Amino acid sequence: MKVIKSFFLMIKGLFVRERIEEDMLKEEALRTPMKTILLKLIRNKTAVAGFLVFFLIFCFSFIGSVIFPLDVNYTELTNMNIRPSQNFLRYPRELNDKNIVKIVSGVSFSVALTDDGNLHIWGTECNVELEGITELIMDIPEEIRNANIVDIEAGMRFVITLDDEGNFSGWGQTDQDQTILPDNIKRFMAINGCNEIVQIAAATMWSAIVTDNGRMYLWGSFQAESNYIVPADAQGKIVQIATGEVNMLLLLDDGTVRSMGMRGTEFYELVPEELMDGSVNVVEIAATNRNVVVRDDEGRLYTWGSPVDNLNKIPEELNLETAKYIAAGLNNFIAVDDDGDVFVWGAAQLGQYNLPRNINNAGVVKVFADAFQFYAVDEEYNIVGAWGNKGYIFGSDQLGRDIFVRMMHGGRMSLTVCFIAVIIATTIAIIIGLTSGFFGGWVDHTLMRVADVFDAIPFLPIAVTLSFVIGHEMSQEQRLYLLMVILGVLSWQGLARLMRAQLLLEREKDFVLAARALGIKQRSIMFRHILPNVFNFVIVSVTLSYASFLLIEAVLSYLGFGVREPTPSWGNMLTGAESSMVMRYYWWRWIIPGLFVISACLSINMIGDALREAMDPKSEER
Amino acid sequence: MLIRFIIKRIIILIPVVIGISILLFIVSKIMPGDQVAMMLPPNLRPEIYDVTYDAMFRRLGLDRPLYEQYFRWLREIFQGNWGFSSMFQGRPVLDVIAEPLRNTIILNIFVNIFYLLIALPVGIRMAVKRGSIFDNSWQVFSLATFSMPSFFIGLSLIFIFGINLGWLPLGGMPNAAMLEGLDYYIAWARHLVLPVTTLVLISLAGAIRYIRNAMIDALSQDYIKTARSKGLSEKVVIYSHAFRNALIPISTIVVGAVFALFGGAVVTESVFSYHGIGRLMVSAVTGRDRMLVVSLNMFYSMINVTAVLVADIVYGLIDPRIKLK
Repeated sequence: MKVIKSFFLMIKGLFVRERIEEDMLKEEALRTPMKTILLKLIRNKTAVAGFLVFFLIFCFSFIGSVIFPLDVNYTELTNMNIRPSQNFLRYPRELNDKNIVKIVSGVSFSVALTDDGNLHIWGTECNVELEGITELIMDIPEEIRNANIVDIEAGMRFVITLDDEGNFSGWGQTDQDQTILPDNIKRFMAINGCNEIVQIAAATMWSAIVTDNGRMYLWGSFQAESNYIVPADAQGKIVQIATGEVNMLLLLDDGTVRSMGMRGTEFYELVPEELMDGSVNVVEIAATNRNVVVRDDEGRLYTWGSPVDNLNKIPEELNLETAKYIAAGLNNFIAVDDDGDVFVWGAAQLGQYNLPRNINNAGVVKVFADAFQFYAVDEEYNIVGAWGNKGYIFGSDQLGRDIFVRMMHGGRMSLTVCFIAVIIATTIAIIIGLTSGFFGGWVDHTLMRVADVFDAIPFLPIAVTLSFVIGHEMSQEQRLYLLMVILGVLSWQGLARLMRAQLLLEREKDFVLAARALGIKQRSIMFRHILPNVFNFVIVSVTLSYASFLLIEAVLSYLGFGVREPTPSWGNMLTGAESSMVMRYYWWRWIIPGLFVISACLSINMIGDALREAMDPKSEER
Repeated sequence: MLIRFIIKRIIILIPVVIGISILLFIVSKIMPGDQVAMMLPPNLRPEIYDVTYDAMFRRLGLDRPLYEQYFRWLREIFQGNWGFSSMFQGRPVLDVIAEPLRNTIILNIFVNIFYLLIALPVGIRMAVKRGSIFDNSWQVFSLATFSMPSFFIGLSLIFIFGINLGWLPLGGMPNAAMLEGLDYYIAWARHLVLPVTTLVLISLAGAIRYIRNAMIDALSQDYIKTARSKGLSEKVVIYSHAFRNALIPISTIVVGAVFALFGGAVVTESVFSYHGIGRLMVSAVTGRDRMLVVSLNMFYSMINVTAVLVADIVYGLIDPRIKLK
């Protein structure tokens, strides 16, 4: 062994230059205590790792939340519980050589129908496999794969298809049997003498078909029975339908339109008169959830519906005379003009405006827009650009919010709240510790009894109680301050005691005696001579209690007594995670925030431990 | 001598108890919600309601000045009358607490047994084999669990053993009406496994470090060198000389931990829907049950005060050098 070792040393000596051992006294003179501590820290691998991890988390939270602003009240229920991915827009390369007939999209997937009657699906699974029921969207059933499909349509989490033999089929979420053509509708179709389906349509919760003799049938879940009723003067003349969330627009064979579905919505009530009386010949219709846009044969666009998201404001740059194609996503309208320029208006939260560069020179003739994924195709029906919702890196939560962005803002919130709480606790501790140690006597006695009281009160129960009792009618912002104060006020005792004990210890030391002998004032001794010696403990304590505050904040917010929804914090993003549904199927909703809390705490604890070791001269023994 | 020591400790604790009671009294006064209205049945006719309201108001002594209310409340607590819970249809608080308290105590007994059985040998071995793989891996374990929110440990355990492996129930309590005899106790035990594991893991993190450091301090003393140089076997040195001396600091945290578990179980009980006082505490706060909240806080505080007292006494018993200075 020895021989091998010396051999290695020799080899090492060839390549690595030995550090010249400095004279011990020289080294001593060179290094201040601060330098020694720093050197020890840098040599400590865990400390460096801790610093690095914490730095990354810090940047993620503070820089990230500046780059990605958050609208705390934003929700998009259709996109709830989508697993982490970034592939919503990554269409298969083989589509490049094929002619696309149609592309439809749901919340997290898109399906393309090519002219050979085949389907291509991409994106991310948005359904879960409940016991015994397979509703997975990414598995196209065998019989549909083998059939020659002529038309497809997508609801939010299901797809319906029509093959060349007129068979209706579908797959995906089927809680309202949207993918099965009901028997009674088949009977109605037979009675009314129609045998061919010409159009299929799907919305969030229901499906509809239009037959060759202009009749429409619909089934699924509606909010009210009356929403099923097709206007009597329209039935038999329908050529095209556009579906919203609870309303529908029907295009009739005489070029007029009718709205149906839920009464009282802007969609239903605000149809312009000229579109119904026949003075305008409508050729194309499209509908988002709550808005409609129609185009007449002269290229004029009409739009009405809910004022949300400015969907009624047609962009001014869009030359109405040359508009030749309109499409509707879930919250957006898209128009293409004669030059192939693409215009988008409506909601902007999911990248709907991130048009691909050069899209306006690519000769776009059509944009397939459904949900939140948009695909532009050229004259040969090849995809030339895709934009919209790329996916959620960390998934989406129960309200369809992007967990990635909420993690950043939640991190900023948690880190800031705990930091201020630590400052409060440390300030109180230093003041009380110093007063107690300095004055002694009855002051010391009283303060230590107060510390005893705070020690005896159970932390979590009293924090929960106070946060509720004081904060129950406070605004969101005030509650944050309250949280900081509660955390700070309830946890100063440990450090205060330590300060006092150290003070008493240091006071008896020789250098204090020397200072006193020199006639230096009491206060000066306290602040100039003693305090710096105690300061090491403060730094270590601040670091370690920062980590524990992060945990406590997470626990309080998790229980609903800390930072409250909709303001995100790492703790309250975990609320509801104990439900077995979330645990089993929506793992990203609890594992990701949990991992962030853990890595933040772990890194801070690592730094704290390293600091303690670096500052404690006896630490080498341990 | 010992008795005098104990009495002195108790006298010191009296102002602490008074301080706590004043604090909790203030909390009960600023608690939202009308204390009287919550105790009255909701469907009274207005004129009867007013009369009963006034009567109740006076009966509870709310028309009296605050200090009088405080002393009245204190007196009643000593008499065992802890008020009435509004969440549980006006049942006495002590009655409401009884069953959850039993459950929490059962939970804590198991946790303490397992935790001590693991922490003591592991901590001692870590100190003896300082720097070994054993020591380092437990250090890493300790640091990791120390950095995890307690509910996350619980959730992970549920995820692994309850959902993925399906071995254990996800939480809750066995139904006493459906099971009989041995089956009931087996169901009980199965429901206890995950909460107990969670709490043991949480408690271990701090304890093994503490025990390790105490042992290292003890092992570096001169009398250990003396013992070794006398030629005593390593076993005797460790368990007879070092451990006995390390016991002094260890005893403090052991006593502390036994009592601290009552407070720490709040989160764990909530995660596992375990019907203990921790979960009762959370629901009492959200349910604005004034007396229940105050009583539970009082109860927790008393446990902590007792813990301090017991730790002091144990300290005095173990270390003959420590007598009240």
